Amino acid sequence: MSNSDKQSEGSVTFLRWFRGLIVIAIVIWLANLVYQNAINPEAEHPFKLGLDLAGGSHLVYVADTSKVDPLEVTELMSALRDVIERRVNIFGVSEPIVQVESSSFVSDEPTNRLVVELPGVTDVSQAVAEIGRTPLLEFKLYSEELAQQQVALGGLESISAATSTTTETELATSTESDEINIAAIANLPFEDTGLTGRYLETASLEFAGSNSGRLANEPLVNVRFTKEGADLFAEITRANVGEQLGIFLDGELLSAPVINEAITGGTAIISGGFTAEEARELARNLSFGALPVAIELQSTQTVGATLGAEVLDKGVKAGSFGVVLIIIFMTLWYRLPGLVAGVALLSYVTIMLSLFQLIPVTLTAAGLAGFVLSLGMAVDANVLVFERMKEEYTKGSSSREAAATGFKRAWTAIRDGNVTSLLSAIILFWFGTSMVKGFALVFGIGVLVSMFSALVITRTLLLMLPDVKKAQATSLSKLLASGINK
Amino acid sequence: MFAITYRKLFLRIAATVVAISILLIGGLGLNLGIDFTGGSLTEVAYETAPEKSELETLVANKNWEGGYSVRESIDDAGRSAFFIRTKDLTETEREALSAEVTNIGEGGEITRFTSIGPVIGQELKDKAGWAIAGVVLIIVIYVAFAFAGIGTPVSSWTYGGITILVLIHDVLVPTALMSVLGYFLGVEVDVLFVMALLAVLGYSVNDTIVVFDRVRENLIQNRTEHKKKQAAGTVREEFEYRLTKPYEEIVGSAVQETLARSINTSITTLLALTVLYFLGGSVTQTFALVLFAGVLAGTYSSICIASPLVVSYAKWQEAKNSK
Repeated sequence: MSNSDKQSEGSVTFLRWFRGLIVIAIVIWLANLVYQNAINPEAEHPFKLGLDLAGGSHLVYVADTSKVDPLEVTELMSALRDVIERRVNIFGVSEPIVQVESSSFVSDEPTNRLVVELPGVTDVSQAVAEIGRTPLLEFKLYSEELAQQQVALGGLESISAATSTTTETELATSTESDEINIAAIANLPFEDTGLTGRYLETASLEFAGSNSGRLANEPLVNVRFTKEGADLFAEITRANVGEQLGIFLDGELLSAPVINEAITGGTAIISGGFTAEEARELARNLSFGALPVAIELQSTQTVGATLGAEVLDKGVKAGSFGVVLIIIFMTLWYRLPGLVAGVALLSYVTIMLSLFQLIPVTLTAAGLAGFVLSLGMAVDANVLVFERMKEEYTKGSSSREAAATGFKRAWTAIRDGNVTSLLSAIILFWFGTSMVKGFALVFGIGVLVSMFSALVITRTLLLMLPDVKKAQATSLSKLLASGINK
Repeated sequence: MFAITYRKLFLRIAATVVAISILLIGGLGLNLGIDFTGGSLTEVAYETAPEKSELETLVANKNWEGGYSVRESIDDAGRSAFFIRTKDLTETEREALSAEVTNIGEGGEITRFTSIGPVIGQELKDKAGWAIAGVVLIIVIYVAFAFAGIGTPVSSWTYGGITILVLIHDVLVPTALMSVLGYFLGVEVDVLFVMALLAVLGYSVNDTIVVFDRVRENLIQNRTEHKKKQAAGTVREEFEYRLTKPYEEIVGSAVQETLARSINTSITTLLALTVLYFLGGSVTQTFALVLFAGVLAGTYSSICIASPLVVSYAKWQEAKNSK
């Protein structure tokens, strides 16, 4: 061998070691980062635990969007989400989740749901009651046509009885003169105007002045609309002078004053024979936001905090034992390369955990189980390569050549197997409900990371090992041989 | 290779397993949980547990429609616990039930409560069905394209089709196990079971593809290329391939060469699942068990069903063509 050959051989060896050490250093650095994030309660990227591990309540509400223009549903649902989010924040729960979920196109009827997750809240009744306090405020126009239809159907008697308790009211600038007997118009022949609590900005308690034509000091609720709401309100009142505008709270008619002129001020007054206490309560509830559509509780789930911690503890234990057992098995079977696969598996775990923290992925009992399962499957690419490598090594290639050929030959199998897995994960993510989506996400990331750990980490580390031939029959060459055959 | 030589035996075993599985599923049915049917599940744990019958009378006295069931269990802290399944409870009903069940026995505590409306249940069922169908479809198409061009002696669609047949076997076995568990122990099918099935699906396809990948490679190594006679005017050159070894021998060596890999990957996966079963939380025990059955079935099928089936199909096709 000439001098220059020796030199370049030396620098190549150095490069191999250099690369290997850098890979190991990065993994150790990442592991430390994950660990620091996990133990530090104020870390920027802590693990995010799902309700079944952290304990808490999960509520699903279904929104009645049947009367809403399909094009507006998305906007309406996000308005609804904001309102409930403000409501839920009253609890002072750390990181409540309020999200909109719509049923996918595979189900017959499109439904829109609101998912509320309250970590740490195990008293569902309290949560349900608090959310239930959100008022539903609607402004509807009296419709002669509808009323006549109802008369024709003979429903008037029962209706008029139901509304006889309703009292008189007034819009902000209207005068008192045209009060109509509300009992006669009933609470059903009203048409939606699109003006709802969604356009509410604030609400405050007020007392009627002495010259307003009503009982002095009657408690009232003054609502102020947003810019959009004010415009809508002005438009409705302008187009319907002389008509009655019904104010509905939680589906019940509160009052139906006559519109005397267009109201452009953007405020309305709600009266309804309130006591001062009732009016204060309503103003408070309205100022947290009013529901733009009616919602109904569809499902609830509560998990006790101690139980969740127990499940988490067990999951972590299972994961750790799993990793140790797999490393032992791989080392016994594939010897030195097996140990390398063990290091790659540890890197897989580290990278996955760091991604869980960074993305962040909400960890659930199911997700944890899926992760433990993935440990067993993550070494598959290594196994494929090592089996190929063994064939070449037995045929007489040097260990490094065998490794290079092993990677090359195993590639198509690794590619095809992983692409199908990835495609499955994408489809699951697409179709699945939130729980399945989480599983699909972990599964998909797992496929990519396991490929990376085998193709980059295992490869770099394998090439670090000294180059020997099987025929040399030294202890090192035996360590590099694998499996039980000869 | 034994799997190819005795392929008739192995395929008969597989056919029997599939038949038994279908009979079990059809005969015993699946015990669908509230995730799919809607309803409520109350989990209560005790320091000193009351008799199961006490709880049953308590729930029976409520006279709720749709029946009820009470199942004994051990919770994750080692206390004795019960699962009480009822109709979809309202808030007031839930509070009443919680108060009453924690009153009997000592140290009663509601550890989990789940209530699912019937609409969500139905939707979940639909979604699960669509998801599985979608995955299966995409796999056939991918396999057919990835194996395009190995069309001697069987087409790439055959490999795709057989991947799916194998998949059905692998999914039926754990489903049958689930219906046995449901019938005798009252174990319920929940969302986790669907996820376990999806994982089996992924495992099974991966396992089969690895063997077929080796078949593909060996076929390419053991064939000679001949230019096809061209009709006048065609511009594209077409090739015809002739195998230098019998097809079954090529497939046999592919199975042989991937045998160690198939077994080792299933060992590492089964190790992880065993640990999960014994050390993991009670929620995921059934998940681990179902997957265990699925992985065993998947390993058997990738060695003893997939390749033998390809060879049998090729023989049948050959016999048909020579007639």
